[in-house]
Amino acid sequence: MTTARASNPGAAGETGWRDRVRGAVGHGLLAALSLFCVFPIYWMYATSLRRPDEVYSVSLFPWPLSVGNYTHVADVLPIGRLILNTFVVALVIAVGQLLVGLLAAYAFTAWRFRGQTLLYLAFVGTWLVPFQVTMLPNYTLLYRAGLLNTLPGVIVPNLVSALGVLLLRQHMASFPRDLIDAARIDGRSAWSILWTVIVPNLRAPLAALAIVLFINAWNDYFWPALVLQRADSVVQLGLRGLFVGVEGPDWGGLMAGSGLACLPIFAIYLLLQRHVVNAFVRSGLK
Amino acid sequence: MGRIELDGLTRKYGDVVAVDGIDLDIADGEFLVLLGPSGCGKSTLLRLVAGLIPPTGGRVLLDGEDITHAAPARRDLAMVFQSYALYPHLTVARNIGFPLRAARLPRAQVRRRVAEVADLLELGALLDRRPRELSGGQRQRVAVGRAIIRDPRAFLMDEPLSNLDARLRQSTRAQFRTLHERLGTTVLYVTHDQVEALSLATRIAMLDGGRLEQVGTPTEIFDQPASVFVAGFLGSPPMNLLPARLENLDGRVRVRADGIEADLRPGEPDGSVEGVEARDVVFGVRPEHLRLTDGTGRAGTPVLRGVVRAVENLGAEEVAQCAVGGETVQFRGARPLGLAPGQPVQLATAPDHIHLFDRGSGRRLVWRPHPARTAPATPRA
Repeated sequence: MTTARASNPGAAGETGWRDRVRGAVGHGLLAALSLFCVFPIYWMYATSLRRPDEVYSVSLFPWPLSVGNYTHVADVLPIGRLILNTFVVALVIAVGQLLVGLLAAYAFTAWRFRGQTLLYLAFVGTWLVPFQVTMLPNYTLLYRAGLLNTLPGVIVPNLVSALGVLLLRQHMASFPRDLIDAARIDGRSAWSILWTVIVPNLRAPLAALAIVLFINAWNDYFWPALVLQRADSVVQLGLRGLFVGVEGPDWGGLMAGSGLACLPIFAIYLLLQRHVVNAFVRSGLK
Repeated sequence: MGRIELDGLTRKYGDVVAVDGIDLDIADGEFLVLLGPSGCGKSTLLRLVAGLIPPTGGRVLLDGEDITHAAPARRDLAMVFQSYALYPHLTVARNIGFPLRAARLPRAQVRRRVAEVADLLELGALLDRRPRELSGGQRQRVAVGRAIIRDPRAFLMDEPLSNLDARLRQSTRAQFRTLHERLGTTVLYVTHDQVEALSLATRIAMLDGGRLEQVGTPTEIFDQPASVFVAGFLGSPPMNLLPARLENLDGRVRVRADGIEADLRPGEPDGSVEGVEARDVVFGVRPEHLRLTDGTGRAGTPVLRGVVRAVENLGAEEVAQCAVGGETVQFRGARPLGLAPGQPVQLATAPDHIHLFDRGSGRRLVWRPHPARTAPATPRA
């Protein structure tokens, strides 16, 4: 190749030109796709920043800028409390799934016990069962337990996730066995080994998984909508209230509310960008 | 105290027997090396003693107390792993102090002990570093420090030098020896490296296929290998082992094979060597116990005749590969040997340097006085 280039500069020039064109086309295509993905989000914020009487405008840039929609949302919805509730729900679900995943994965990897494979397959199986199948039994259980229309009703059925177990089992299976053996000889109990040896060394995958679980819980709409009847519970349902108002959808308010609901996720993304990307790569999702 | 007794210790995995009924008594303060090739069960045996895997049979006793089913933490044994198994998230100081913190000792005491151990192993300047910031040799010392700090009844070491380069291995061997002399604690040490075993051990236990082949001092193991396996494992190059026939000829005990003729014992005054039966044997002689001869030596001197195939330069010495009969014999001597490929060669040795093994069982044949007479002897398996 090098020889060919040296002896035939004309051909080399042609190849370089072709590479440049190929690169430009690729970049152009990716840029177009990125714009395509980002545009709805841009439009949401653009609409939310138009004056309330101009929300149907199709001009690309909102001008003059107005925070009217935001003050309107703040008037009709307890937006701060909604976001706080959603945050608590997402946090408790993420922490719960993480804990269950951690303990189950530890049990699956550190011990050999009768029925292990069967139990593991059952865990995997629950991941394959569609949400719609378990939705009604869960609903009935919540009804019997008197948890309908409460935040614990949203949280409790989501405290266990097979995803967490599957991912953490993989990480723990590749955890150096010698470290666990060394800690056993050094006098640590199984419980102590988990917290003093394994968890500190699995911080990166645990953080990644926590982020995925938190974002999943934050974005979940269907289950809270089923369990909670009140519009003043979590932000997803508060926004629904704006959408199905008696005068038709309140687009300005909806866009402003959605924009606010997205902010915590954007904040997580900005602060933990590396971990978030890592999290999605690791989980093989999205 | 730290006497370890193994009583019929066995570990099976399905039909595979990894450790097969090992009986071994390791005295307090002894440096016992478990030596053998990969897969011979030596690491499994060490883990059985550590309590990391449960045995399927037999017992482990520590100072007479049955600890077969005791948890690893309750055995008062410390282990150094081949991978060092340092906790990556902890500093050197915290790694060394880990067992003491697990035992919930007061912080001040942990700090003091860590400082003492760091001083002993010259780790004082590295206490705030993490394992990934250390060299292989430093990591190895931290692993030893973590074992020493507990002041255990015995140390279990699983190939602790195998990840070091040759030079560092040599200096660390010397440090281990000094440390053992200083602490006087029992050491059970696993390695596949014969140099480590011979230089460190007070006794060596040779393992093959999960069984004990021979237990003895390094000198015994090297000079009187109990089996073909032991003979072929030790030495560099290892002992030459050739099929031969033991005969009783003209009142002499003689070993013969294609290209080999060796008188082992001069004839008895009455011309008989009663009790020595002709049998198939394995004839063994170490490469360094051969010397070049022109065939004019004393009659009956054991001689091997062959042709040089290749000569290998080892620096100070040379090793010649010679075809003797249908076999290859290695001959080691100071450089230059003055041999060239294709050259006919005669190699002599002393009768005392010849080892004989039973062809069927592979066990060593030894001279024992004949029960009926005092002077003559008979080889027995």
